[in-house]
Amino acid sequence: MEQALVVEDLRKSYGKHEALKGISFEVRPGEIFALIGPNGAGKTTTLRMIATILTPSSGSSKVYGLDTVDDGEKVRQIISYLPEEAGAYKNMTGNAYLRFMAELFTPDRHTRDEYVAAAAAITGLGDRLNDRIGTYSKGMTRKLLLARAVMTHPKLAILDEPTSGLDVVNALEIRQAIKDLAKEGMAVLVSSHNMLEIEYLSDRVAIIDRGVIHRTGTPAELKAAYQAANLEEVFVEVVR
Amino acid sequence: MNRFATLLRKELRELMTLQMILPFVFVVMIFFFIGNIAGNETRKAAAPQWIAVLDQDRSPLSAELTGLLATQNFRIRSFHDQTLTKTLRQAKDEKIATVIVIPRGLDREIAAARQVPIPVYSIISNFSLLGSLGSQAAKGAVSTINDYLSDRLLAQKAARAPASNPASLKNPVTAKNYVLIGSRSAAITPDLVSGFITSQTAFLPIVMFIIIVIASQMIAVSIASEKENKTLETLLSTPISRVSLVTAKMVAAGIVSLLIAVFYMFGFQSYMNGVTGGFNSTAAHNPQLAAAIAQLGLTLDLPAYLLLGASLFLSILIALAISLILGAFAENVKSAQGLIAPITFLIMIPYFLTMFIDLNTAAPLLRFIVYAIPFSHPFLAGPFLFLHNYPAVVYGLVYQAVFFIILVIVAARIFASDRVLTMKLNFKKGRFQIRQD
Repeated sequence: MEQALVVEDLRKSYGKHEALKGISFEVRPGEIFALIGPNGAGKTTTLRMIATILTPSSGSSKVYGLDTVDDGEKVRQIISYLPEEAGAYKNMTGNAYLRFMAELFTPDRHTRDEYVAAAAAITGLGDRLNDRIGTYSKGMTRKLLLARAVMTHPKLAILDEPTSGLDVVNALEIRQAIKDLAKEGMAVLVSSHNMLEIEYLSDRVAIIDRGVIHRTGTPAELKAAYQAANLEEVFVEVVR
Repeated sequence: MNRFATLLRKELRELMTLQMILPFVFVVMIFFFIGNIAGNETRKAAAPQWIAVLDQDRSPLSAELTGLLATQNFRIRSFHDQTLTKTLRQAKDEKIATVIVIPRGLDREIAAARQVPIPVYSIISNFSLLGSLGSQAAKGAVSTINDYLSDRLLAQKAARAPASNPASLKNPVTAKNYVLIGSRSAAITPDLVSGFITSQTAFLPIVMFIIIVIASQMIAVSIASEKENKTLETLLSTPISRVSLVTAKMVAAGIVSLLIAVFYMFGFQSYMNGVTGGFNSTAAHNPQLAAAIAQLGLTLDLPAYLLLGASLFLSILIALAISLILGAFAENVKSAQGLIAPITFLIMIPYFLTMFIDLNTAAPLLRFIVYAIPFSHPFLAGPFLFLHNYPAVVYGLVYQAVFFIILVIVAARIFASDRVLTMKLNFKKGRFQIRQD
């Protein structure tokens, strides 16, 4: 079966600082794959390179066989990226924002309306979608952005800290939505430093620290290998 | 829907917010308001001025002079048989700013060819420009009297030497002015011609300044705010090309600044009309000037307008490209505004230099600086075109085009690379740094 994402020996330097020191992993279609690690481990740099926003210093990443550097525009057609702390245009209404983003993905009016309707259902914001985004709470904005990221049925969704800033109920809803979408075949690459969330959410996990992936496996495999009660304990053992 | 159109619509919507439009509407309204007030005052000043005349002489000559003033665009309030103090008080009460006293014995003194001092009182109640126009009436009144009296005296003398008239005695020679431009000449004074050229090209710097400053601000702020509000990263991950993203921002900034420039021009025009309404001396009001302008070939034809437009257009594109690059490096909206400031200076330098300095005789270094600044060329193009110096304009256009292409290549490289997200210009400890994170 074709892999949704293949990352091979990916490296990134900023001047003399080497942020990513050659990482490799694969994500299967329908799989939720998580990168976990502390702040500054290289998670966001990795996600940005796969989202075609940054150029790798060396190595490669391929989404369904398309190179993120050489076929950037084609890759962007089949992925969606939710940056950490992303914002939305505050003067737009929620609906207008979803419509604007949908139009960037499809020229067809009918498909656009389908995307917007799907996103509106995921946000659960109801009539508030007619209000300006500037009036939304942080949680409402995050839900809007996540709905935006998955409304186009991307083949690969890249989600950087998807539930950051959300309360327990909202976070639970978002996690459930991600799981449901993965069941429909969407591959998900997610990053988080919330290990407990990742344990619940992901099929496989890579532990990354200081630009290096130390271990990859299912949460169960990792816990068994380190005889740990949860992923947090595994993480401490791995990076020690 | 076309992605570019979607983006452009979004950019326009982001730029045309109420907070952004209101200040401009406000400024235009103020221009309009000041223009109207100034217009009223100008009309008032141009209308016949009231003068109080205290006739202490009560002679046929003094009556004649009072009558003369009444025919010379003055309205006369005549007093006699009363004290000066009372006259001044009355004039003040009646808001008459000028009091002329025709002293006792004027008739006799003039007949004896002696110079007679005429007391003139100007009652000043304010120091505004238009307010002072009223007190200039005094000067006019005295010179009217002088002209009349000297004509009369000369006529008396001329009666003894026939075949001469007072005018040729007063001014034995007069200047007959000609202006030469290229191989053409016309009978006109040079100040009228240069006044006409200035009036034809005066709008250019204003429009250019407004468009470039506003457009630069908008585009730099637009990119910086996408970075600050963390929307740029999302936008960069959607299937729009980098070129569309950049062009949509440039076009939107161009359209909005053009609209604002039209607004400003409308306001500025009503202001200028108000201020200059009373003293119009353009070609439309002066058939002699109109004929001379045509004779000298000082009219711009369609190709000339197109060249001028091209120069202006290239300047705007250059400003947008520079702002785009600077905006990409700005950390937030505030720093973007700071980074744009140099563009303003780059426009001011050629504006003032070309206004006050003759570049043909300027020092080589100064000339080089002016030619090197791409924004100089529209200012230079206007006069060049009036003088039919087309090659100079074309060289300027070529230089601007090359400058623009280089900038676009630089801008495209920046947006195609990581730098738009990772590079920030910082002014720290007086040092200019490029930081990456």
